[in-house]
Amino acid sequence: MNDAPAVSARGLIKTFGSTRALDGLDLEVAPGEVHGFLGPNGAGKSTTMRVLLGLLRADGGTVSLLGGDPWHDAVALHRRLAYVPGDVELWPNLTGGEAIDIFARLRGRWDRAHRDDLCERFDLDPTKKARTYSKGNRQKVALISALASDVDLLLLDEPTAGLDPLMEAVFQQAIGEVKAAGRTVLLSSHILAQVEALADRISIVRQGRIVETGSLSELRHMTRTTFVAETDRVPEGLDEIAGVHDLSIEGAAVSFRVDGDRVDEVVRALAPLGVRSLVAHPPTLEQLLMRHYGDSSDDVTGSTDDGTGSTLEQETAR
Amino acid sequence: MTAPTTSRTRRGPDPGGSSTLAGTGTMLRLILRRDRIRLPVWIGAHGLLVLYIGAALPQLAPSEENLAEMTALLSQPVGRMFTGPAFGMDAPTYERFFAAGYVPYLFILAALMSIFLVTRHTRGEEESGRAELIRANVTGRHTALTATLLVAGLANAATTALVTAVALAMGYPAAGSALVGLATGLTGLAFTGITTITVQLSEFSRPAAGMAGGVLGAAFLLRALGDMAAVGGSALSWASPLGWAAQTAPYVHDRWAPLLLLVALAAVTITAAFALQRRRDFGASLMATRPGAGRARASLGHPVGLAARLQRGGLLGWGSGILLLGVIDGAFTQSMIDAGEGMPEELRAVFGSEGLVQGYVAFLGSFVTVFAAAYAVYAMQTLRTEEDSGRTDAVLATPVSRVGWSAAHVVTIALGVLLISVITGMGTGIAAAGVTGDGALVRELLAAHLAVVPAALGVLGLCVALYGWIPRAMPLLGWASVALIGIVDLFGALLDLPTWLLALSPMHHLAAVPIEEFTLAPFLVVTGAAVLLAVLGLLGFRRRQVRVV
Repeated sequence: MNDAPAVSARGLIKTFGSTRALDGLDLEVAPGEVHGFLGPNGAGKSTTMRVLLGLLRADGGTVSLLGGDPWHDAVALHRRLAYVPGDVELWPNLTGGEAIDIFARLRGRWDRAHRDDLCERFDLDPTKKARTYSKGNRQKVALISALASDVDLLLLDEPTAGLDPLMEAVFQQAIGEVKAAGRTVLLSSHILAQVEALADRISIVRQGRIVETGSLSELRHMTRTTFVAETDRVPEGLDEIAGVHDLSIEGAAVSFRVDGDRVDEVVRALAPLGVRSLVAHPPTLEQLLMRHYGDSSDDVTGSTDDGTGSTLEQETAR
Repeated sequence: MTAPTTSRTRRGPDPGGSSTLAGTGTMLRLILRRDRIRLPVWIGAHGLLVLYIGAALPQLAPSEENLAEMTALLSQPVGRMFTGPAFGMDAPTYERFFAAGYVPYLFILAALMSIFLVTRHTRGEEESGRAELIRANVTGRHTALTATLLVAGLANAATTALVTAVALAMGYPAAGSALVGLATGLTGLAFTGITTITVQLSEFSRPAAGMAGGVLGAAFLLRALGDMAAVGGSALSWASPLGWAAQTAPYVHDRWAPLLLLVALAAVTITAAFALQRRRDFGASLMATRPGAGRARASLGHPVGLAARLQRGGLLGWGSGILLLGVIDGAFTQSMIDAGEGMPEELRAVFGSEGLVQGYVAFLGSFVTVFAAAYAVYAMQTLRTEEDSGRTDAVLATPVSRVGWSAAHVVTIALGVLLISVITGMGTGIAAAGVTGDGALVRELLAAHLAVVPAALGVLGLCVALYGWIPRAMPLLGWASVALIGIVDLFGALLDLPTWLLALSPMHHLAAVPIEEFTLAPFLVVTGAAVLLAVLGLLGFRRRQVRVV
């Protein structure tokens, strides 16, 4: 596989009437990576996907997909990709199995044995008419068809919004296999845990532009690790450590957040207190997202003391 | 936090109202709000029809003596088949001619309005899932059905009032006008009742509307056969709700009793629908869905195979309906011959000029082609449904080009139109040959159908062009073009329509075989125009974006 980006968009602009859905969006997905495309509803994720598929024509900016132009080279490019829409609509009078096969055959190369295996793993009855399927089952149909196809790029638009946790685990496993096979995945989602578990890099989109992009660890050091602990002795002195924020002590229970480079110091301070339980978790993508909501000019909270961090705290405290 | 919830949030069911009907008033307002344009258009169409016929008749026949020359048009067996029992045609007046020739179509219009209204607001809502949101609120099991029935009642009452008022404004007698209005409104109410049952039977709104439409078709057929038998109808006419409405004989006998039959039918069907609804789960039906194939057949992996599969149901439904119509018409050929000698000039104008059977053959060819054109518009609308639902996105995300996707559907529909024309032409011919013993009718009817089929293809071409460039205008302009062709075909000679209007209909330019000599030039021009419009449409779809609101 060559090193040219699988997806490269620069300054994409797309307007619908007076609504600006994409407002100078930049997106770069390297070949072979799972790229998380994260944003709240209405941020422009689906519009980006539909521009990448050549269903919509961007009003401005440049976009290239697998080295081609998604609008002009749509048919040739689509041989090499599979797409799972956010709202999967199937033909109500065809069965799920028929729909799986139709999409796979239209794409070209696919693996029938893998298809049957995926039906089993996703626990899908392919003989049922699509009109009887729930949202989750319709999503499984589109997913199975995409995963069974031999393509270079998967465009997945909130693919698991209707799946239960068990199926979510199957999905993560399947994406792991795709990644191991060296394929590229662009995975849009507002389910943060899913992207955390799967993505090599993420881009956060908000109001039609990318506000943050990088690997998860690159983004993480911008915020703080959360600690929740129960100790034998009443914890004291923690507030004296630089970099500890939001300290709250209720009896023997303590919770606080700490800057990324102070974690070591904090763990040393906790140890002598007799730790009975300890939960520490890195910043969730929710918190990463919230940072950018705090920056919003139309946000109602006015007071900030020390910049982005504290705005985040106000946001999450609500 | 752990304090007990305050009593403010705890309220029992409203002791005053019936719990299965809770929220009916709100639902009623919601339906009226959603249909605030659609329903007035439907109701207004009834008034416009009365107004137009009332104004056109004196133009057509300046005196009632002229009218007498035209009555054979309605009182002959074939005339009775398409209109009704033809009361009072021995002493015709404008209002009697209106009642005999046009009021039966008011009944059908009211029935269609009611069928679509009920399906849309009951099963259609349940199928979409919107009704689930409604039902999760303080609304009862029967709320949606009751609110829909109230709206249907209001709509049919308004139709009654409007039709009566316009008829009175035409100077028609009061009792007959009230009877026309009531028969129209009550026919609507009877089909409201029938549809409340069919929406219980199927989980989906299209089959539900289809079943109700099937009942309407059967009612038309029974009435047609019954009224064929004798002037004033026969026992078979009384087997049909449309027959009951026609048996009121407005402006002639002014019978009120048949209206009671319509009221009784509405009451029985609505009661049955409530009983059925009590017995079923939300979203469920009385007809189970069966499992299907776990794998797709190889043909489905190609855009053409997929399009053929998706268009199959519509083609089968429309095709079999049109074939049935053709076969029945073909079976009437002998009656035409028997009635032939006393046929006045005006009737010959409709069916052509000299040879009566020849004229009938040509008429059937163009009549069926109007329906084939209607099928084309219906089928093209499925492309919009595919696009709006997002399924087109999913197909176009595979290596299928826009032109490939849309052309697969258009070609399938075009072949469907041809198939309808060929099979109906042959079926009509075989039926006609069977009753007359004249085997040549098979070939003649097939030729009559094929000679005008470019008209239906022209409508298809227009729809494809609109789909590619102004998709939102497609349903309106598509159906308008079908209406134009139908009006020009059925009434062109009778209503003295202006030349430019006649010229707009592609059918008008085609030879009405066998009464006119087949000429290749117009056949090729209309076909060529259809192909050109279709290509234009495909090019338009290639450059436009998909599913942009």
